[in-house]
Amino acid sequence: MEIKYTVQGLLIYAAMSVYLLAFVMSLLRRRKVGHVLYLFGFIIAVLAFGYRWYDVRHTPLQNLFEVFLCLGMICYPVSFFCRRILQVGGRCADMLIGAIVLFPAGFIFSAEPQQLPPALQSWLFVPHVAVYMLSYIFMAKATFQALTQFAGKSYDGDEKLLPPEEATYRTICAGFPLLTLGLVLGSWWGKLAWGDYWGWDPKELWSLASWLVYVGYFHFRYMFGKKHARINSTWVIAGMAAILITLLWANLSRLFSGLHSYAT
Amino acid sequence: MGVKESSKKKFRRAVMWSALTLIILLIFLSIYGAFIGAEQTRNLVNSLPLSVYWLAWALVLITALAAFRRLARVPRLLLMHGGCVFILAGSMWGSDAGHKLQEQLLGIDKIRTGRMAIYEGQSKNLVALENNQQAKLPFSVKLTDFRIEYYKPVYLRVQTREGRSWKIPVEIGSDFSLGPDFGTVTIIRAFENFKITIEGGIVYDDPEPGYNPALEVQIKHADGAVRTQYAFERSPGHIHPEDKFVLRYQRIISDYISELEVIKNNKVVAKKNIEVNHPLHFGGYHFYQHSYDAEAGQYTILEVVSDSGLNLVYAGYLMLCVGVFWHLWLRHIFTGIKLKSE
Repeated sequence: MEIKYTVQGLLIYAAMSVYLLAFVMSLLRRRKVGHVLYLFGFIIAVLAFGYRWYDVRHTPLQNLFEVFLCLGMICYPVSFFCRRILQVGGRCADMLIGAIVLFPAGFIFSAEPQQLPPALQSWLFVPHVAVYMLSYIFMAKATFQALTQFAGKSYDGDEKLLPPEEATYRTICAGFPLLTLGLVLGSWWGKLAWGDYWGWDPKELWSLASWLVYVGYFHFRYMFGKKHARINSTWVIAGMAAILITLLWANLSRLFSGLHSYAT
Repeated sequence: MGVKESSKKKFRRAVMWSALTLIILLIFLSIYGAFIGAEQTRNLVNSLPLSVYWLAWALVLITALAAFRRLARVPRLLLMHGGCVFILAGSMWGSDAGHKLQEQLLGIDKIRTGRMAIYEGQSKNLVALENNQQAKLPFSVKLTDFRIEYYKPVYLRVQTREGRSWKIPVEIGSDFSLGPDFGTVTIIRAFENFKITIEGGIVYDDPEPGYNPALEVQIKHADGAVRTQYAFERSPGHIHPEDKFVLRYQRIISDYISELEVIKNNKVVAKKNIEVNHPLHFGGYHFYQHSYDAEAGQYTILEVVSDSGLNLVYAGYLMLCVGVFWHLWLRHIFTGIKLKSE
């Protein structure tokens, strides 16, 4: 546990608190206030990300602290896009997801600025990580919809919004191309930096496993449609579990040492 | 007709189940591979049973393209599935087995992967292979210069034995105050290759090949005592019992650069300064900055990798990405625009 008594830390804690407050307000059916607070939390998260960018003088996506900071920032735009364009609800849960993903940045990972090592000095660094982060938030939203489908209810009660099974599918349709692009860009970058587009490194394998789970989901849903909605949702939850392992376990555990490991 | 349709349906279902089974198997194989490590996984995926598995993948994909007319007719679906076939075909062609096949079928004798250690000024065409053997390239590679670049400014970390620390930019001759209780630090000079004479203990920067970066630091303590300490990059935290401060001198590498020339028939046919992320591509090979002489910075180690099958893999990546974005994003965007305009 590392509490940060810095401007950076204060901005993260402020964004987390406002996200949590927005969540509580939404639970209390004060939806408008909740939304305004969520937007305010997003602005603070943008400030925290911008401050970090200014501090380290490169796009802050280098380590897990910066990655979680970025995730905390992109929750709101993804949530907004899903509601407006995809007709997918779950904004209340998005507020909680925002606070949860900022927690590791605020309390777990070190904010010590680091210079970019030679391997990370590539134009592929930012697009590779950024599309992955975006896809992860889409998949997190889809997982919430899948869990809602398991519970057999829709929290929003808005007739314009899609029922959970369809909402899950639509959100995955939005996130999967980004997940694919992230994997392909990573492979291309691996070829330029290490000489091989596929090194069978533990992190690569976990990211392939998570991509394949969603490929399996699409094929299963194509075969059976909504007939086995619970199995469809199980695929999605399994995909999120694989993503979490890719992002955290594969990075931090010494069990999976490799080119991508942050543990050494 | 009804029987024909029903058997067609059954066949399609069988293809779908085969695809799903292969996907699930690959998920478990990836997870298993993550636990056993990259080296063992590489051996596993290149083994005979797994070769059969990859062929089954290619077969199922091609069968699916034939069984589901829609897959072949709808370009976006064709791109996605065809892209996977290309990736598989490219990676098989570029694998160890693929290189052996190229030699047997087409007489192409290509090194799949190996390493070259080249000293500055030397040219070489021998590649060390993984099986401790050597193979020859049809051209030579000359290293004209190797250098390491560092991020600036470089910092010296000064720490008391109680754990209080300061980060001081390395500027020769300028004073840095540690506050009234601790005194002042002055960096006197920097060495690239620190040496000390046995007789007289005179320190000097040795111009001969070698690598021992160090700083000479003068510390004026709060009580007026003056001490000279040395901070060595390769021995961080080096300290004498009487020293009050621990000094750490650590430069952060920003780049490794090997200036290369490719020589064929006594002529320089290509030149490139290779860095991490910027390999040299020549004669069907990529040359990567792999490692270097950490003792004296006199030689570089290049990784040599054959480019066989790479274009197929890249074409597959492009097809897959275009297909996925078209199918899941663009199709809906275009439909939305069309509906709006109507």
